[in-house]
Amino acid sequence: MANRPILGLFEKADDAADAGDALKSAGVDQKDYDFLTDAPYPEGAFGERHESHRLYIFPFVGALIGLTVGVMLTSMTQMAYPLVQGGKPILALPPMAVVTYESTMLTAIIFTIIGIIFESRLPSFKKGLYDTRITEGYIGVLVNVEEDQLNQTQTLLTQAGAIDVVRQSGGSAA
Amino acid sequence: MAASEIHGHGQHAGMWVFPDATVISQDISAKTRSMPKPFTIALAVTGILFILGVVGFVARAADSGFDEIAPWGYYMAMFSMVFMVTSAAPLAAVAFRFTKSHWRRPLSRVSELFSIIGILNVAMFIPLMLVLPSLDNPAGVVEGQLELRRTIWIEGPIGAPLAWDFLGVLFLALTSMAILWVSAMPDMAESRDTATGFRGWVYRRLSSNWYGTKRQWNAQKAGLALLGAFYFMIMIFVHFEISSDYAQSLIPGWKDSIFPVIYSVTSIQMALGAILITMFIMRRWGGYEGYYGKAPFWSASKVLLGVTLLWIYHLFAFFITFWYGRMEVEQNIIKYLITDTYAIVFLVNLVFTFVAPFVILIWNPVRRSAWGPSLAGLLALIGGLAFNIRIFVGSANAAPGAKLYDSFMEHVPAPVYPDVWDVFMVIGGISAAIFIYLAASKLLPLLSLWEVKEGTMYQKWGKLFRGEYLILAKPE
Amino acid sequence: MQEGTPLQSRQINAELLRTILNSPKWFWIAISILGLIVLFAMAAAGIMINKGMGVTGLNRPVMWGFFITNFVFWIGISHAGVMLSAILRLSKAEWRRPATRAAEILTVFSLMTAMMMPLIHTGRPWRLVYWIYTLPFVPYDYARGIWPNVRSPLVWDPSAVYTYLTSSILFVIIALVPDFAVLRDRTTGMSNRIYGMLAMGWQGNPRQWKLQIIAGVLLSALILPVFVSVHSIVSWDFGMAVSVKSWHSTIFAPYFVVGAVHSGVSAVAFVLIILRYIYGWQNYIRHEHIDALGRLLIVVATGWFYFLVMEIIFGIYGREADEIAVRSLQFTVNPWAIWMLIFVVITYFLPVAIWLSKTGRRNLWIMSFACISVNIGMWLERFLIIVPGLARKQLLTFDWYTYRPSAIEWILVGGTFAMVSMLMLFIARVVPLIPLYDIKEAEILRTSIKIGRVSVPATFRED
Repeated sequence: MANRPILGLFEKADDAADAGDALKSAGVDQKDYDFLTDAPYPEGAFGERHESHRLYIFPFVGALIGLTVGVMLTSMTQMAYPLVQGGKPILALPPMAVVTYESTMLTAIIFTIIGIIFESRLPSFKKGLYDTRITEGYIGVLVNVEEDQLNQTQTLLTQAGAIDVVRQSGGSAA
Repeated sequence: MAASEIHGHGQHAGMWVFPDATVISQDISAKTRSMPKPFTIALAVTGILFILGVVGFVARAADSGFDEIAPWGYYMAMFSMVFMVTSAAPLAAVAFRFTKSHWRRPLSRVSELFSIIGILNVAMFIPLMLVLPSLDNPAGVVEGQLELRRTIWIEGPIGAPLAWDFLGVLFLALTSMAILWVSAMPDMAESRDTATGFRGWVYRRLSSNWYGTKRQWNAQKAGLALLGAFYFMIMIFVHFEISSDYAQSLIPGWKDSIFPVIYSVTSIQMALGAILITMFIMRRWGGYEGYYGKAPFWSASKVLLGVTLLWIYHLFAFFITFWYGRMEVEQNIIKYLITDTYAIVFLVNLVFTFVAPFVILIWNPVRRSAWGPSLAGLLALIGGLAFNIRIFVGSANAAPGAKLYDSFMEHVPAPVYPDVWDVFMVIGGISAAIFIYLAASKLLPLLSLWEVKEGTMYQKWGKLFRGEYLILAKPE
Repeated sequence: MQEGTPLQSRQINAELLRTILNSPKWFWIAISILGLIVLFAMAAAGIMINKGMGVTGLNRPVMWGFFITNFVFWIGISHAGVMLSAILRLSKAEWRRPATRAAEILTVFSLMTAMMMPLIHTGRPWRLVYWIYTLPFVPYDYARGIWPNVRSPLVWDPSAVYTYLTSSILFVIIALVPDFAVLRDRTTGMSNRIYGMLAMGWQGNPRQWKLQIIAGVLLSALILPVFVSVHSIVSWDFGMAVSVKSWHSTIFAPYFVVGAVHSGVSAVAFVLIILRYIYGWQNYIRHEHIDALGRLLIVVATGWFYFLVMEIIFGIYGREADEIAVRSLQFTVNPWAIWMLIFVVITYFLPVAIWLSKTGRRNLWIMSFACISVNIGMWLERFLIIVPGLARKQLLTFDWYTYRPSAIEWILVGGTFAMVSMLMLFIARVVPLIPLYDIKEAEILRTSIKIGRVSVPATFRED
C-alpha cells in the first residue's frame, strides 16, 4: 500500500515536539516525519533525526577544477602570445596568480551553491503536502504513513495539540 | 582536580568547561605552589641555556665589539623573535576582552603573563642601540651616496632614532606590565592573606587596597580598556620603529610601506601560537584541562587562520608590487630576501608560517581539537624564526661600511651563516624568555580567576524544547 | 545587547513585507525623480560618446579623473556588504541580523555601477569587444595589431570584479530562498508563480534549514577572500606601475581594502537609517545596531588611518624627486592642500570624534551626518590619490598640468548616486531587505540569564 502524507499544524513548538515524541513511541520511523518551520530552530530542538550531508566536498572539488582551469587559461594565453613585455619572462608565474586565484574561488563558490541546492533536495516543486500557515509561524509536523493508519495518526497529532490537521495541500506550495 | 562539568554533544564535547567556583581558587593556588619534577627540569634546562646565551653574547662582544652591525645579525633576529612574541601576546587578552568574547576567559592570563618578558626585551635592546649605524653619512657628501640615509625619521628629530626606539620598547614593557598588574590585582588580593614567602610579599604589596567594591571593579574594567587601547597603539608604533630602523632602513633602496604591517601581522600570529602552545602544555601536563576547555582553542584557531591568511596576503602585496616594478633595486631586494640569498630560509618561512598552518587549520575537526591549533601555532613560531633570520640577518649584512649610504643596493650580497656564538645567542635568548615565563607562572596563576568566575555567571546550559544548548549572555 | 520587544512571526511578516505587498505613493514619485536623473546622466554619456572625450576635463597628463575616482569609490562601497555579513556571520554577532541583506544588495548594485565607469571612461565602449574577444571565448586579438599586454594587471580587474559580482548575487539569492517561500505563500497570480519558482519548493524542514545555516557560514568564508582580493586588485591597477611614483607603494592593497570597508560600512549604516525612517522599521533596525556599527567603525577608521600614515611616511621616506613632487603638490599647493586637510578631517577626526560618544552613536541624525562625511571624504581620498599623482607624473616638468572636471563628468558622477538609490528602492519593492528568518531565529534563540536581581539578555548557541 502506498504511503500518504498528513500534516499537523501546531501553534507551540513544545506541542510539535510532543507530537514527534508520540510518533516515535507509536513506532513511526524517524525518516517518515519531518518538522516544517518558518525559521531555523537549533539542531535537535524537536528531537528530530540527525541530518548528515556532504556539502564540504563541493567547494574542494570546485576549487580544484577552478585551479586547473585558471592555470591552463593563464599559462596558455601567455604562451600563445610570446611577446616580451617590460622584461618579464614569457611564462611568468606572478601574473598568473591573481587570475588563477579568482577562477579557483569562483568555481569553489559556484560548486558550493550547487551543493547547497542539491543537499537541500531542492528544487522540489511537486513534492509533498504543505500549508501556507507554516510561514506564519505555525509548526508543521509532516508524517508519511500507510493509508490505513491515517486516522490513527490524525488522532495522535490532535492529541498532541495540533490546531489543524490537513491531508490535502491548502496553500500554494505545490 | 577541580570539579568541572564537561558538556556539549558529539563534536562539541568538552568544548565549554565551567569550573566549579568554590574550589577553583584553592585548586589553582595549589597548582601554582607545586613544583612537579618536569617543571623543575624545564626550569633548569632553560636556565642553563640562558647562561649559554650570555656566554655567546660576551664572546661575540669580545670578538667583534659594538662598532659594526654585521656580526650582530643573529642577535637582532633573536631579539626580534622574542620581542615579536612577547609584545603581541598581551594583545590577545586585550583584544578579546574588548570584543567581550567569553571564550577568552581561560586564555587571558596565559597571554598577559608574557608581559613579564618585557624586562628581557628592554635589556636585550640596549646592545642593539650601540650597534646601529648613524643616520648621517660619516663621509659627508659623497658622489652617488646619500648624506643622510633613508629613515622613517625623515630629517631626524632630536634623539632619533635611538632614544625614540628605546622609549618605545620601554613604554611597551611598562604598559604591558601595568595591564598584568591591574588584571591580576583581584586574584592577588584573594590569596594575599594565605600566600607565604616571596609570593605573599608580592601579593600584599601589589594588591593591598583591593577589596572588590563595585567602584573598584568599575575602575578596573575601565582601566583595562584604556590601557589596552593605549597598548595596542604603542605596539603598532614600536613595531613600525623596529621593523624600519633595524631592517628596512639598513638595506639601501628598500622602500616598502607594507613591511611594518607584515611585521605586526607576523608578530600577532607568533604570539597567538605561543599562547596556544602554552595552553596545550598546561592542559596536557599541568592539570589544567578542567579549566581550559576546547572553546578557546576552537575560537583562537579561527583568529589564527585569519592572521595566517593575512600574512600571505601582505607578503604577496609586497612581492607583486616589487616584481611588477622591475626597477633594479626592487629586483635586487627580491633576490636578496626571497629568491636567491636567503631562498631556503624564505622557503622555511613560507611553509611554516603559511602553508602548513593553513593546511592544518582549514579542517573543522582539527580546529575543534586542542592539538590542532597548538601544532599550527608551533609551526608558526618556527616560521617566525625563519622570518626574523631572513629579515634581520639580511639587513645587518646588506651593506657593509660606507655602502650603507648608497642610494640603492647594487649587488646582491651572499648569505651569512651563524657561527657558534650566534647559535648560543639565539638558543640562549629564546630559553631566557621561556625561563622567565616559567618562573613567572609560579608567581601568578596561569588562570585569570576573576575572569573565569565572572564567566561562569554568564554562561549556562539550558533546554530549548527537546535539545540542550549553551546559553551565553552578553553584559553591556 | 537586545533591547527590542518580542515579536511574533505574523507581525514580522506583516511589517517586513509591507514594502512589497503594497507600495505607497511616494515610492513612484521617488523612483520617477531618480529615474529622471539617471536619464539625464545617460544623455550626458551620449553627448560624450558623440562628441568624444574632449568634452571631459581629461587631458595630458591627467588621463584618469572623475570616472576612475568614481569607479574606485563604488567598488569601495561594495565592500561593505560582504565584509559586514561575512565577518559578522563568522563571528556570530547577534546584531548582524537586520543589516546583512541590505548590505549584500548594496554590494551588488554598487559593483554594477562601478563596472560602468571604466566602460564609460573608454570613450568608445563598444570597441572593448574587439580588444578582448575575436571569437567567443578566445581572449586577445593580436591579428589586428593591437598587441595587448597579456600580463597587464588591468586584466585582473574584470576577473576579480566579476567573480565578486557573481558570488555576491548567488549569496544573496541563496539566502533569499526561505524568504521567497514566505512571499510565495502571501501572493497570488503572476507574482505567486514567480516567487514560487524562486523558492524552488522550499518547505522549511530541518535539513533545509541546517544547510541554509551552513551555507551562510561557508559562503561567507569563501567570499571573504574574494572581497579582499577585489579591492587589492583595484589598488594594483595603480600600484603595479612605476611611472607614477606615488602609486607604486606596497601598502596600496590593504590600504585600499580598509578604506573600502570604512566607506562601505558607513554607507550601510546610512542605508539602514534611511530604511528605518522610510519603512518604519524601528523594531528591527534599533539604536543598538547603529551603535554597534559606530563602534565597529571606530576600529576600522583607526586601522585605515594607520595605513594612510604609513603610505604617506613611506612616500616621503624614499626622498625621490618624482615622489616628492607629488607629495608637495598634495600638501603644499592650494587647492590640493586644502582638499587634503578637509579630506583627513571629514574622513577620520570628525566622524571618530562623533563615534566615540555614545550620544553621537545613538542619535540617528548625527550618525547619518558622520556616515555621509566619511563617504565624501573617501571619495576625495581616491581623487587625491589619482589626480595629483598623474599631474606630477614624470620628471619632465613641461608636462606637469592640472585637471578640472567638466559638467559632463559631474553629471555622470551624480547619475551613479541616483542610479544606486533607484535600484535600492526598486529592490525593496521586490524582496525583503531584512531577512525574515534571521529575525525570527533571533526571537527563538532569545532568552536571559538571571544574576542576582538583574536579568541579562542571552542567546542559545549551538557551539
